[in-house]
Amino acid sequence: MSKRIDTIDLLEAGIRAEELRQKTIANNVANLETPGYRRVDVKFEDLLAKALDSSSGSGDIKETNPQVYQPKETAVKSNGNDVSFEVEVGEMVKNTLRHKAYVRLLGKKFKQIEMAIDIK
Amino acid sequence: MKVDGIFGPIDISVSGLRAQGKQLEVISSNVANARTTDAGKGEPYRRLEAMFKAEEENGGVNLQKIMKDMSEFPRIFDPGNPEADEEGYVELPNVNLPIEMMNLTIATRAYQANASVLKRYQQMVDTTLELLR
Repeated sequence: MSKRIDTIDLLEAGIRAEELRQKTIANNVANLETPGYRRVDVKFEDLLAKALDSSSGSGDIKETNPQVYQPKETAVKSNGNDVSFEVEVGEMVKNTLRHKAYVRLLGKKFKQIEMAIDIK
Repeated sequence: MKVDGIFGPIDISVSGLRAQGKQLEVISSNVANARTTDAGKGEPYRRLEAMFKAEEENGGVNLQKIMKDMSEFPRIFDPGNPEADEEGYVELPNVNLPIEMMNLTIATRAYQANASVLKRYQQMVDTTLELLR
């Protein structure tokens, strides 16, 4: 690790990505039966890992933004739609758990700071 | 099978849910066509069956393919039927409704079981996250 990475920035980036992902899941579920609709997902963890890679990455979290893309991995139904309700539910469960973890860690971090400056 | 990462069990449960959903789709097709005497090609409807395959690498289950049940068609004597042959017999689909209903119950229960596993695992991770409070 060449550069000191700020925990709060990192968690903030993660929470922002989870928020966007939640929106894409809602969008997918809303278009469950829309003919020709392909499900969308958010690419973030890979981009973050690349940015944090000490040899090639920039190490700048603030420049790493989550990207919306179409994975085109699930089977396409006869109407050209590839949303699977079960997959979306699974993604939502994962997303909720990740979000919870990040928010809790952020809360812990703030508590540490509070403790250091002794405001309570 | 390797399961690494905290979300492995969730993906596996979802694969089970999807497989049982597919199974339900196949059963509904069989029940809907239980009396379809003409499915094209001069044959009555042939019963379908979903075949599943274990996902070796990441765990879980996948639909391998939907196969046709090649058992014989039952024949009934119905000379008045426009589809009857010269001897007065009509071929019916090889769908057996009691068997389909039994498979329906199995598929429903398996779906519920996968949903229960998913829910229980979610609660387990939640318990871990409670430690972060």
